[in-house]
Amino acid sequence: MTSADLRYPQQTLVADYLRATAGVVLCGAPLLLLDVNRWLAALLLAGFALFALFLVRTALRHRTRFVLGPDTLCADGPGGTLVEWNRLDRLKLSYFSTKRDRSDGWMQLSVGSTGGRLIKVDSSLEGFHDIVERAARAAEATGAPLSDATRANLRSMGIVVVGQEEL
Amino acid sequence: MLQFIARRVLLMIPTLFVISALVYFIIDLPPGDCVTSQIEELLARGDPDAHQRADELRELYGLNHPLWQRYLEWVGGIFRWDFGLSCQDTVPVADLISERMMLTIVMETSTIAFIWIVSFVIGVYAATHQYKWGDYVASFIGFIGLSIPNFLLALVLLYVGKVYFGLSIGGLMDPEYIDQPLSWGKVVSVLEHLIIPVIVIGMSGTAGMIRRLRANLLDELQKQYVVTGRAKGLPPMKLLVKYPLRHAINPFVADIGGLLPDVISGSVIVSVVLSLPTTGPMLLSALKTQDVNLAATFLLFVAVLTVIGMLISDLALAALDPRIRFGATSEK
Repeated sequence: MTSADLRYPQQTLVADYLRATAGVVLCGAPLLLLDVNRWLAALLLAGFALFALFLVRTALRHRTRFVLGPDTLCADGPGGTLVEWNRLDRLKLSYFSTKRDRSDGWMQLSVGSTGGRLIKVDSSLEGFHDIVERAARAAEATGAPLSDATRANLRSMGIVVVGQEEL
Repeated sequence: MLQFIARRVLLMIPTLFVISALVYFIIDLPPGDCVTSQIEELLARGDPDAHQRADELRELYGLNHPLWQRYLEWVGGIFRWDFGLSCQDTVPVADLISERMMLTIVMETSTIAFIWIVSFVIGVYAATHQYKWGDYVASFIGFIGLSIPNFLLALVLLYVGKVYFGLSIGGLMDPEYIDQPLSWGKVVSVLEHLIIPVIVIGMSGTAGMIRRLRANLLDELQKQYVVTGRAKGLPPMKLLVKYPLRHAINPFVADIGGLLPDVISGSVIVSVVLSLPTTGPMLLSALKTQDVNLAATFLLFVAVLTVIGMLISDLALAALDPRIRFGATSEK
C-alpha cells in the first residue's frame, strides 16, 4: 500500500468559512453597533466565541493535509499528530445530522494510538472511506474497544470488524 | 461536535428572525389597531375629542408609522430589552411581563420536570410489568390523560376542591403575596399553589410519554440480544439499563423540544380557568386587543424557548446516539 495525500475539498472549506463568518458577524455586529442588554450580551458573546472557534478550526483544517500510509495516519499541519495503526487504542465513528429525521448528515472518525493525541476527520475529507477501512482493520488487529454506535456506523459503511460484533 | 453545534446555532438565528417577522405582521393583519377599541368606547360615551385622542394615542404608540418601521424599531429594541409600549396600560412591555414571565418559566419548568419524572418511572414500570395490574393502571391513567382536555380537568379540580375540600385552587400564590417583593414566604406559597396547575397541564404530556416509552421499551425488550443476555444469566437490572433503556430513551430525549411549545400553548386556557398570573391570560388579552408589541414579545419568547428546547434535545440526542440511520447516506 502506498501513501495517500488527503485534504478537505475546497467547496467544504468555503462553506464552513461562510458559516463561521456569518455566525461571527451576526453575533458580533449587535455587540459592536448597539447598546445591548447585559444578559443578551452574554448570550451573543457565547455565540461569538463559538463561531470564532469554528472559524479557527476551519482555518486549521485548511492548513492540514492527512497522509494515510500503511503504518500510520499523519495529520500534517498546525498542531499535527500521528496515529500508528499497530498501536491503535481508540476508534470512534459518530454520525451527526442537523435534520430532525437525521438524514443528510456527516460522519466523524476519531482515532488515536497509545500515548498520542486524537486525529478527528469528517466524512467530507477525500479518501475518508479508506481511512475508516484502515482504522477498522487496525482495531481488529489491536482489539481496540468499539462502542455499539461505532459498530453500527461501520456496518452502514459496509465494514465489519471481526470479533467486535454484537451478540 | 463543534461543527454540529455551530450549524445548529446558525440555523437558529434566521429562524428566530423569520418567526419574529411572521408573528409581528400576522398580529397586525386584522383591520383596525389597539386604539380602535379604546376610541369606540370614548365615542360611545359621546366624547367630542375622541378622534383627536385617537390621533394622540396613535402617535404615542407609533401606530402612524408604517408596519415595517414599527417592526424594525421593535426588533432593534429587543437587544436593549425594550419591547416598546403596551397599548393596554401605556406602560413598557418589559415592565409588564417581567414577573409573569418568571412565574411562567417556573411553572413550565416544573411541568416539564413532572412530565419527565412521572412518565419515566411509570413507563419503565409498565413495560417491565406488561399485562400485570400495574401496567393496566398505568395504561388507564395514560388513556384518561390523553382523552381529557386540560381545561376540563382544571374545572373538575376547581369544583372538587371547592365543594368537597373547601379549597381555593385558583391563583399561583396567596393573595397577601401578590405584588409583594420576593420573599421565602412567597416562594413557599408559589410552590404550594404550583401542584395543581402542574398536574393539570402536565397530564396529557405525561400520558403520551408513558405510552411512547412503554412501547419503545417493549420493542427493545423483545429483541434477541436481550433474550440472549437473559439466557446467559445477566442480572435483570443490568440487562434493562445497559442497552434496552438507552435505546428506548432516544425518542424520549427527542421530545424535549416539542414538549415546550405543547406545554406553553396548553397552559394558556388552563391559566385562564385557574386564574394563574402567567403570560397565558395576558397573551390572550393582547391578541384580542391587537396589542402587537405585547403579543409579539410573548410569542417571540415562546419561539426562543422552543428553538432552545430543540437545540438541547438535538445535542442530547447527538451525544446519546451518534448512529447513522440505516438507509441514509454516510458520505457527503
